[in-house]
Amino acid sequence: MRILTITCSVAALLSASPLAAQTLNVASAGDQNMVDYVKDYLGPMFEKSHPGVKVVSVGTGPGDAGSQKIFEKLDAQKGAATTDFDVVVIHQKAAGTMVKQGLLAKYTDKVDTAKLVSSETAKNSLGADVSGYVIPMFQSQTALAYNADMLKNPPDNFAELKEWVKKNPKQFGYNGIKGGMSGVAFVAGWIYAFGGDAGKLIQGPYDPAEKAKWDAAFSELKDFNKNIVITPGNAGTLDMLNRGEIAMGPVWVDMFYSWQADGKLPPNMKLKLASPGMPGQPMYYAVPEKAAQPKLAEEFIALATSPQVQADGIVKKFNWYPGIDAKNLEGKLDKTAWDKLFTDITPADLSKNAKPFPIAPYFNDILEGYEKKVAN
Amino acid sequence: MSPRQLALLLIAPGLALVAGLFLYPLCFSLVSAFTGPEGGFSLQAFGKAFELYSGDVVFTIVIVVTSCALTAVAAVAIAGTLTLGENPWVVGALRALYRWPLFIPFIVAAQCMRTFLAKNGLMNNTFVSLGLLEPLQAASYLDWRGIIITFVWKQTPFVALLLAGALASLDRATLEAGRNLGASRLRVLIELALPQVMPTLLVALVLSFVTMLSVLSVPMMVAGSQPTMLTVDMAFRINAYGDYATANALGVITYLISAGAAILYLRHGMAKEGAP
Repeated sequence: MRILTITCSVAALLSASPLAAQTLNVASAGDQNMVDYVKDYLGPMFEKSHPGVKVVSVGTGPGDAGSQKIFEKLDAQKGAATTDFDVVVIHQKAAGTMVKQGLLAKYTDKVDTAKLVSSETAKNSLGADVSGYVIPMFQSQTALAYNADMLKNPPDNFAELKEWVKKNPKQFGYNGIKGGMSGVAFVAGWIYAFGGDAGKLIQGPYDPAEKAKWDAAFSELKDFNKNIVITPGNAGTLDMLNRGEIAMGPVWVDMFYSWQADGKLPPNMKLKLASPGMPGQPMYYAVPEKAAQPKLAEEFIALATSPQVQADGIVKKFNWYPGIDAKNLEGKLDKTAWDKLFTDITPADLSKNAKPFPIAPYFNDILEGYEKKVAN
Repeated sequence: MSPRQLALLLIAPGLALVAGLFLYPLCFSLVSAFTGPEGGFSLQAFGKAFELYSGDVVFTIVIVVTSCALTAVAAVAIAGTLTLGENPWVVGALRALYRWPLFIPFIVAAQCMRTFLAKNGLMNNTFVSLGLLEPLQAASYLDWRGIIITFVWKQTPFVALLLAGALASLDRATLEAGRNLGASRLRVLIELALPQVMPTLLVALVLSFVTMLSVLSVPMMVAGSQPTMLTVDMAFRINAYGDYATANALGVITYLISAGAAILYLRHGMAKEGAP
C-alpha cells in the first residue's frame, strides 16, 4: 500500500512538472494592497487570456524594506540557472542598485506599452540610469492632508507651515523617518524648501559638500518638531486625522483617497501640495535577468501597463496616478473617476510641486542628517 | 556501537539545527559588526551605533526594565489572589480571564492598543462618557507609556501562570500557620509565599525581558519613532541604508543587554535544579 502511495505521489509530481513550468511568480514590494492587486485583479485577468498559466503573487513587505528583500533574493540566486521570481514590483532606490548589479533584464523594447511612458522616472531612478529596465506601474504622491473644518486657509508653502505650527502647537503630525515614507517625503520636502538648491539634489551629480548646507534647515526642523506630534506610521497619521487629534499631516495621496472611499476618513479632509513641493515615487515593473519565464513576464507587464488596466485598476481601484502617460487613458475613464484624482491637487499643482525624491546618495545623507541632528 | 556514540548520534540532528540556525548566524553577525567597509577589523559600526542610537539604547533598557517591574507587580497580585483569595467569585472570574492576552500575538495587541490608547481612543472616550475625565484633559498614550502598557498587558499572564503554578504547589501548612498567627493575607503573600517562589518569578521575568527586547511591532506601531527601541533602529538601518554592519553592531549591543538577564537565569537554573 505504502509503495503504491509513493508511486502515485511520484507520478503526480512528474505529471505536475510541465504545469509548474507555466507558473508566473510575481513578487511585489509594497503594502498588502499591491499583493492583492496582482492576486485578485491582474492575475485572474492574465490567466484568462493565457490558459494553463498560473500567476502566483508574493508580497515582500511595505516600503524600501520590501524591495531590499527582493534584491537580496535575486542577489543570492545570482549563480543559479533561474531565479524564483519572473516579475518584480520594486521601489526606486532598489531599482537603481539592481540595474547596477546586473540583476535585471533589459526588457522594455519587447513590450509595446513601454512607448506609452513618457515620465522621467522611467529613465532615471534617484540618479541611476534605468532606461530599458523598468516600466512604472503607477506614480504616487505625498501631500499635506488637512481638516477643512479646523483650517480654512491651509499654508501655501513650508515657511507658512512653520508659522502655522508655531501658532497651533500639536496640531500637525508626521511619522518621523522610521515609521513610513510619508514622513521621509516630508523631511525631503523640508530640505528642498530650506536646504538650498532642490534641483541639485534631484538631478545630481553628487557632491558630498552639499550636506553641510543643511545644518540650519535641520536645526529649524528640530525646533519645529517640538510643536508637533510624531505619529506611529503612515496609517497612524491618517488615524489621528480621522479622530480629530491633529489638523494636518503628510500622507500618500492614494492612501488618503482609499481611506476616504472606505469611510475611514471624514469627507471634510482635503489635500494640499505646498510649495516648493513634496516627493512622490513610482513603483516599477521589472524582470529579473534570470527569470524562468521571461516571455510570459513581458506579456504580463504589457497587460498590466495597457491603458485599460491602468485606467480601471490603477486609477479607479487604487487612486494612484497612472504609470503610463495620462493622455493614453482618455476615453477609458469616466470623468468622475478622473476628476476625483485632481480635485484638491490640480494637474498644475502636480506639474509645479510634485518632485521626485533626491538621488540616492543625497537621500541617504538626508536620512542620516535627520538621525544625527533632529532625532538625537 | 557504544552507548556514547549512540548518544552522540541521537543528539546530532538537534546540534546541527542549533549550529546552523543559531550559532552560524550569531557568528556571522558578530563578524559583520566588527568588520569595516573595506574589510578587516574595525569598530566603525559601533561608533555609528553609539553616535546615533545611544539614546535609544538607554530608552530600550528603561522601557524593558520598567515593563518587567510592572509585570512582576501585576503578576504577583494576580497569582496571589488566585492562591490566597477567599472570595470564590473573584478568584473564578480572574482565573477565567487572566490568561487571555497569552493567546494574542504582539502585533495584534499593538494594533488594538493603537485605537485603545489614542487621545480620542476607546479608553479616554470611556472615561469621558463615565464623567471621570473632561474631554480637554484627554491625553494620548501612544508614546513610551503605550509601549510599556502593551508589554505589561501581554507579558503579565505568562509570568502569572508560572507564578500561580509555583504558589499552588507550596506547602499550605506554612501559609495557614501564618494566617492563624494573625498575619494579613498580603503579609502572608509577601513574607511567606513569595520568598519560596522567588526563583520561578525571576526566571519568568528574565524570559519576559528577553521577549520584550526582541519585539519590533509594538514600538513600531504604538509609538512615534523618536526615541525608539533598538529593534526599530536595526530594521531601519537595513531597510533604508542596506547597512548590515551597524544593524549587527546594534544586535551585539542587544546580546550584551540580554546576556545580563541570561546570567541571572543560568544562576537560578543551576542553583535550583529542576527549575525551568
